[in-house]
Amino acid sequence: MVELPDAGIPSDAAASPPPAGVDRPSVPGTHAPPLPDAGLRPLDPRVVGYWRIRLAAWTGATAIAAAACGAWLADTLGAALIALAALALAGATASLLPRARYRAWGFAVRQADLVVRRGVVWRTTSIVPHARIQHVDTRQGPLERRLGLARVVVHTAGSVGGAIGIPGLALPHAESLRDQLAALGGDDGV
Amino acid sequence: MEFDALERDAFRPRRLHPLTLVFEAIRVARHLVLPAIAGAAGAANDGVARTLAVGLGILAVPAIAAAIARYVSFRYRLTDDDLILDSGVLARRHRIIPLARIQNVDVRQQPLERIFGVASLHIETAGGKKTEGVISVLGRADADALRARLLASRDAAAGAATPVETLARLSTRELIVAGATANEIGVVAAALAGLMQFVEDRLVEYLPEAIDPAALPALPPALAIAAFVVAGAIAVLLVGWILSIVGSVVGYHGFTLERVGGELRKRYGLLARREGSVPLRRVQAVRIEESLLRRPFELAAVRIETAGATVPGQQRNPEAFVPLASREGAAQLVARLLDGFDPGCVALLPVHPRARRRIFVRLAVPIVLVAATLGPLHHPGWLTLLVLLAPAYALAGNAYANRRYAVVDDYVVARDALLGRTTWVIPRRKIQTVHVASSPFQRRHGLATLVVDTASGPRGAAYIKDLPEDVAFDLAQRLSRRVPERPPVPIP
Repeated sequence: MVELPDAGIPSDAAASPPPAGVDRPSVPGTHAPPLPDAGLRPLDPRVVGYWRIRLAAWTGATAIAAAACGAWLADTLGAALIALAALALAGATASLLPRARYRAWGFAVRQADLVVRRGVVWRTTSIVPHARIQHVDTRQGPLERRLGLARVVVHTAGSVGGAIGIPGLALPHAESLRDQLAALGGDDGV
Repeated sequence: MEFDALERDAFRPRRLHPLTLVFEAIRVARHLVLPAIAGAAGAANDGVARTLAVGLGILAVPAIAAAIARYVSFRYRLTDDDLILDSGVLARRHRIIPLARIQNVDVRQQPLERIFGVASLHIETAGGKKTEGVISVLGRADADALRARLLASRDAAAGAATPVETLARLSTRELIVAGATANEIGVVAAALAGLMQFVEDRLVEYLPEAIDPAALPALPPALAIAAFVVAGAIAVLLVGWILSIVGSVVGYHGFTLERVGGELRKRYGLLARREGSVPLRRVQAVRIEESLLRRPFELAAVRIETAGATVPGQQRNPEAFVPLASREGAAQLVARLLDGFDPGCVALLPVHPRARRRIFVRLAVPIVLVAATLGPLHHPGWLTLLVLLAPAYALAGNAYANRRYAVVDDYVVARDALLGRTTWVIPRRKIQTVHVASSPFQRRHGLATLVVDTASGPRGAAYIKDLPEDVAFDLAQRLSRRVPERPPVPIP
């Protein structure tokens, strides 16, 4: 394992020097590139299509609602313009956002933890130590089933990171990931 | 603790106290019969009143029957490893609660229950989203004995004869101070805003006529209105303040927090009496909360977060909460809870200096927006709001100075402040997950927020905002690593 330069981190410098070995990784000899890259793997590219359909449905519904509001408030021309603008916005979102989201997503199962990075605007990188995993689910919505995709949801006892989901995995991959994480999962008491 | 009552026939199924029937009846009455009477009395039309009363009366019959059935069918039983609860008439429910999973057991007494000498037992387990089992009601002695039995396996491990160490005890005077300085700013602000709205909308039209000009000859209407607003605000503040004090004195009357071996015991309440215990090893995090009013007096409250259920509508449970302590007292309390770790003795590090500007901008944007829209549109007087930018700047400076953190061998300390100040102390072996989050604004300056998550309640995560991104990632990497569990250090 790549040793992280503990000395370079200012926090311990201020406190009393830690006893040797406290922060050293317990399992040596594994490869783990440092965060934030951490050798993250992308999702299945088909998830872009899935997100696009879902976003198109949502934004399409919003555009129709906007057009209806426009027809109610303005004359036909105004309504048409509002509908057009809403549709353009919806189309732009549905075509651009999924790809950006796909690029932002990544995950890696490492020696001692699971790393999940996500978010286009608000970006979050989560580290879930295997020992903290309570249970692992795979889930499929109707659309995901049609596309052969599944989500893996990792549950911990944590309060904000209680359930961390990895969407857009091919079903066999999701199932093997689930089994792998479940096997790694600890039975840590709280 | 008296074991005899249960010792003889511990393993035999037992029933609830017969008074359960009375309390169930009271519950039914509260939900059905009283509304029926009130409805009947309130209804103008006799026919409507009668229909209403009859309808609710008809509903009450099955409710009372169900209450009786609940009493008759409920059994609780202890085995060596489990507590078994059987209930239900039509749909039988058989619940097995492994003793090893029990997080804490609260003995609670509502005022009426105290009069009759009975109590209810609330059993909470790890991972539950609500109270796992409620045994309501038992005789007081039975409740105490059962609680002792439920926790016996764990006490046995801790050793039989354990000294009782009082961690905190609050006098009525201290509770008055606690109530007086508890953070009620949000409530007061909302009340003030509502009042302002009211004055804006209604009183402006009526006031000049309503106030006798002879009584206030010198005051122009604007000043009269201002005086009225201030008087109203003071009245609202006073009422809220008195309610807070009364709530504190009544709710926390006789507050005692003790450490018995490896267990934390709390007792409090004037009308509704609460007694509970939490194993110390279940403590997930400790939070020192200094409200705005407390900071000048160096006073604090200490919240001890434990894993377990968070019951909606039942606040401050199952966590333990010490409503008032001096700043040093709070630090000492934390030290006694966390194997001698005193957060006051750790040098806390500042976050990135840009945090000051970020805090200021967040405060300034709403002020500038309101002033810039209402100034030109409504009245130029709104532009005086911009004066607020000066205190906002000072506040941002103070908030930045207080936004600090430390990561030491076994603990993480995270402090943040705006008006009040909160200091988290999290044992590293209790960390669940770690996150590094960043908004676009943070990323532009290479900043990130480190989130340290624990298994305690809905707000059980500490946020260290505006760290340099590389520091945040390094800390995340280190904090997510296992720290070996250590046996608790006995405190002399």
